[in-house]
Amino acid sequence: MSTTARIAVAVVVVAILAAVPWVGSDVIVQFGISTLLLAVLAQGWNIIGGYTGYASFGNSTFFGLGAYGVAIAMVQWNLPFWVGMIFGAVMAVAFAILLGLPVLRLKGHYFAIATLALAQVVAAIVSNIPLFGQNIGLVLPPLNNDAMFYELALALLVAATLTVAWLTRSRFGFGLIAIRENEEGAAVMGVNTTLYKVMAFALSGLFSALAGGIQAYWITFLDPASAFDISLNVKMIIMAVFGGPGTIFGPVVGAFVLSAISEVLSSEITSVAGLFFGIVVVAAVVLMPRGLADIIRHFRTSGWRYFIQNVKAHRI
Amino acid sequence: MDLLAQVLINGILLGGLYAIMALGLALVWGVLNIVNLAHGAFIMLGAYLAWHLYVYLGIDPFLGLPITAIVMFGVGYAVQRGILNLVVRAPMFNTLLITFGMEVVLTYLAQLAFSADFRTINPSYAGTNVALGPVVIPTVRLAAFGVAIALTVAMWLFLLRTKLGRAIRATAQNLVAARLYGVEPRHLYAMTFGIGIGLAGVAGGLYGTVSQINPYIGATLTAKCFAIAIIGGLDNPLGVIVGGLVLGIIESLAILYIGATFGDVASFGVLVLVLIIRPSGLLGRTA
Repeated sequence: MSTTARIAVAVVVVAILAAVPWVGSDVIVQFGISTLLLAVLAQGWNIIGGYTGYASFGNSTFFGLGAYGVAIAMVQWNLPFWVGMIFGAVMAVAFAILLGLPVLRLKGHYFAIATLALAQVVAAIVSNIPLFGQNIGLVLPPLNNDAMFYELALALLVAATLTVAWLTRSRFGFGLIAIRENEEGAAVMGVNTTLYKVMAFALSGLFSALAGGIQAYWITFLDPASAFDISLNVKMIIMAVFGGPGTIFGPVVGAFVLSAISEVLSSEITSVAGLFFGIVVVAAVVLMPRGLADIIRHFRTSGWRYFIQNVKAHRI
Repeated sequence: MDLLAQVLINGILLGGLYAIMALGLALVWGVLNIVNLAHGAFIMLGAYLAWHLYVYLGIDPFLGLPITAIVMFGVGYAVQRGILNLVVRAPMFNTLLITFGMEVVLTYLAQLAFSADFRTINPSYAGTNVALGPVVIPTVRLAAFGVAIALTVAMWLFLLRTKLGRAIRATAQNLVAARLYGVEPRHLYAMTFGIGIGLAGVAGGLYGTVSQINPYIGATLTAKCFAIAIIGGLDNPLGVIVGGLVLGIIESLAILYIGATFGDVASFGVLVLVLIIRPSGLLGRTA
């Protein structure tokens, strides 16, 4: 497809999605909110994981900080929702910059594990601070307006996707891709790798935090266990990788497809939905290691042989 | 003072158990470059296996360890041969994701098979203690510590002295060269993963004698194993003893002096510090 056609399709899809609260049932709208927020998280992770090549397990920490920003502002200080969103975003970005500097020096597995450990540390610290409501959590004022939450989440997803689209055609984005492909080479070519990595980490954290803020006000209850849930981070990675990391629409498509699958599974076969999800993940990694985007690109030429070729390429 | 001595001893005993838990993870990571997120789930399976052997067949948990080890070795060999060998050359994300998928599957299967209730392995001597001056040591913990340290040292000798151990180390260093010398990687990878999972099984059997088990203990254990493997470094199997002891003692001290909820904060905080200061671990070679 040409660029113009792609933009046209994207605009139509956004328009259809925006119309959902006026035509869909309450259940559909609620499913929509959680899916859109997951898509934002996957897209945010795409910036640091997909484009920069750093497997962050710390994005759920940013999500939690954003959620707490809204909760603290509204519950403890009686400020409006949008002030809380800004507060949460500032907390997350500050955290990303402060910790990004030492942690982003680590490579590969080590970076992944350091961010995993940081997430645990932050969760434990938060559960001991009175301002954050400690282990008991915080209860936000209820607002029964799912349509508003839905449109907010959609707007955030559009913003995140536009940001990623900008990465594919800007100096900053090319710098990130260069870091992913060969960090020493990028440094030699004059890319300020430290600055670029920290900025990517902060940008990634910003979107995660905003999604967390919307989630907190929508669910109206927040405690450390739900705010800093590591499995949420794994979910966003799976969605981004399943859809195609380092592509503009991959993570969004991945999030939509996987959310739909797990929704259908949990309504059809409640007890073993999680089991099936695990099996889907294992099968997807073996058969389509480069995500849905890659399948769409190559399936036309190689057909079903595509899966066999993938297995052949990576087996020992 | 007596309290501090007791806490230190507890930390050391816990550290020995931690060492054997992390040994399999460190071996698989160092040789296959697979970070196995399902490692804790395999420890959990080993614990349930030991529990079933004890409850249904009356086999003493310590005497049952070889059975657990052999069964889990078979499971590990099959998993590597059937699934992981297909993705072993894929990018890091993919191996992380596939082992995470396995973790989910194993946890759910365990929940379906064993229910979510807590279980403990309680042999007749579970309540007995050994007094060491003012310090009281539970017999079971001491025995678990002894088995764990003995096995870790045995593993080190195995890698150093035997033909298979040398082949495993050679593969870790340079797969191409090892192939030229006649190493068959598919089989060797499966053997390595099998040994790693066998060790996880033994660790689970020991863990079941000193703590409660349920299907969900895996994730936390995996995170701790990471911390231990990284603090000790991946170059030498004896590193996990150092990593385990460091983590066990820090956790015990943090719980005593700061508060019960800070055990994990302290251990993961130390992990982050070690990573930032020395990414190859305390004992590892500096890159």
